[in-house]
Amino acid sequence: MSTVKNWQLGREMAYPYDARYPERQFAFVFNINRCIACQSCTMACKSTWTFNKGQEHMWWANVETKPYGGYPQWWDVRILEKLEEANPGGQVWGGTPADARFGPYGTFEGQTVFEAAARTLSPDSARVLGYLPTDEEWNSPNIYEDNPIGKRGVRNAIDQTGEQLPVHNTWFFYLARICNHCSYPACLAACPRQAIYKRPEDGIVLIDQAECRGYRKCVEACPYKKTMYRGNTRTSEKCIACYPRVEGTDPETGGEPMETRCMAACIGQIRMQGLVQMAEDGTWAEDRYNPLYYLVHVAKVALPLYPQFGTQPNGYYIPPRWVARPYLRQMFGPGVDRAIENYISPSRELLAVLQLFRRSNRIIFRYQIEEGPKIYEGSLHGRKVELYNDTVIAFGKNGRELFRTTVEEPVYVRPNVHANSI
Amino acid sequence: MPYADPEPDDPQELVGVEWPGDESVTREMAESFADEFAQLGLPRAEILALYRQPEYSGAHRAWRLLGDDEIARIVDESLAVFGRFTWVVTDSADDEPEPQPLRLYRRGS
Repeated sequence: MSTVKNWQLGREMAYPYDARYPERQFAFVFNINRCIACQSCTMACKSTWTFNKGQEHMWWANVETKPYGGYPQWWDVRILEKLEEANPGGQVWGGTPADARFGPYGTFEGQTVFEAAARTLSPDSARVLGYLPTDEEWNSPNIYEDNPIGKRGVRNAIDQTGEQLPVHNTWFFYLARICNHCSYPACLAACPRQAIYKRPEDGIVLIDQAECRGYRKCVEACPYKKTMYRGNTRTSEKCIACYPRVEGTDPETGGEPMETRCMAACIGQIRMQGLVQMAEDGTWAEDRYNPLYYLVHVAKVALPLYPQFGTQPNGYYIPPRWVARPYLRQMFGPGVDRAIENYISPSRELLAVLQLFRRSNRIIFRYQIEEGPKIYEGSLHGRKVELYNDTVIAFGKNGRELFRTTVEEPVYVRPNVHANSI
Repeated sequence: MPYADPEPDDPQELVGVEWPGDESVTREMAESFADEFAQLGLPRAEILALYRQPEYSGAHRAWRLLGDDEIARIVDESLAVFGRFTWVVTDSADDEPEPQPLRLYRRGS
């Protein structure tokens, strides 16, 4: 095992390969506060990439209902349980969240999926602690998670009187997921044929279909369960980050980097995807006016999903503000309290950057704010709110302006035909 | 999915697990949806429809627990701040690229 730096964990960790970092890294931020599980992203991905025979069970993009649901079922419960068994009582964070780019959430003192494997698995070729989900666990992405099950013996139908069930006073939220295109991919580490690679230009993790022999080591290893086995080709497949769009070779892109299909289809406008600059040590290079850099490292409202797994995932989430904090701390690490506090009392710049979500399908590389006058001051849900008529300008890869967004008070013009009506 | 009877000795069986939650959590979720969709520019009727439609289980559960009047009050509170303005997005003049002809390659050519 080599030793690599994991900035999310705030320490070095063991990994089967030496560290190699791409020039830029595919990354994304999902704002869970807005997700209503319309499944537009899910269907956009399905209809683009996984509509063929043998891919019926595959949902590279999915939205699941937490805390109960999961695709495959119980994926996070099971891997958390395995890590706890490997290191009882030791999966804890130390230190306190700080402002540094390395270790902004403190230091993880437990074991990653790589470190736990070295202690608990044999033979040596078993490099990642994981498990292989059963066929049944892949079968029902988000089906019956929100709705009562069908009548006994009647499949694929919801009980028509199920809404008579009592309403439980509890909480839940929707977790949209795709492959995290991790900096230290567990799938890549586990592949005995080295068929999985991370692209040096954008950090997208791909499976070479010509090299894959379908051993399913990647399916077993990925703690997020985002590699999937295809029976009729006997190979594994995974999210390819719509790379023709990201690299600008898809005819629709006009040669400019474009966000993935799942991002573009999001009607709740919860998603933003980009390509962040990487530093030589594997941290994000300072790029103050890149919107993703701002959300993750400056405003600190976006957090990685289960950073304690150790793969340094590149998907970040603005956590839902209504959910029990212990659950969120387990899911997103110790940065949760600060993230929610910063989100519910947003700074002037954060309010402006949030306006960039889904205003264009082009990848935003830089933003600029032209400050305008204060247009509102008051309170909302007991908290102080200030709004400014700032103009936010988004720029693409070549520095060309993509769009600008500003605030206007709407003006209603009374139509001539109904001059005296309201 | 659980078509069979519960198996109490199955560690994966979800049997009566209690999660912390009370009316304040539901209210916070309802307020969150109202704030977010008011910021997106949805009008009052469309935001209220989000709560009333059972397909959107999260919002709908809040509607069932808090009632139509309380949800309307929460939505109006959000719209009192975010609904008074319109966010205007202006694409750059040459944003739309020239459409590229789709090139098809014949296998073996």
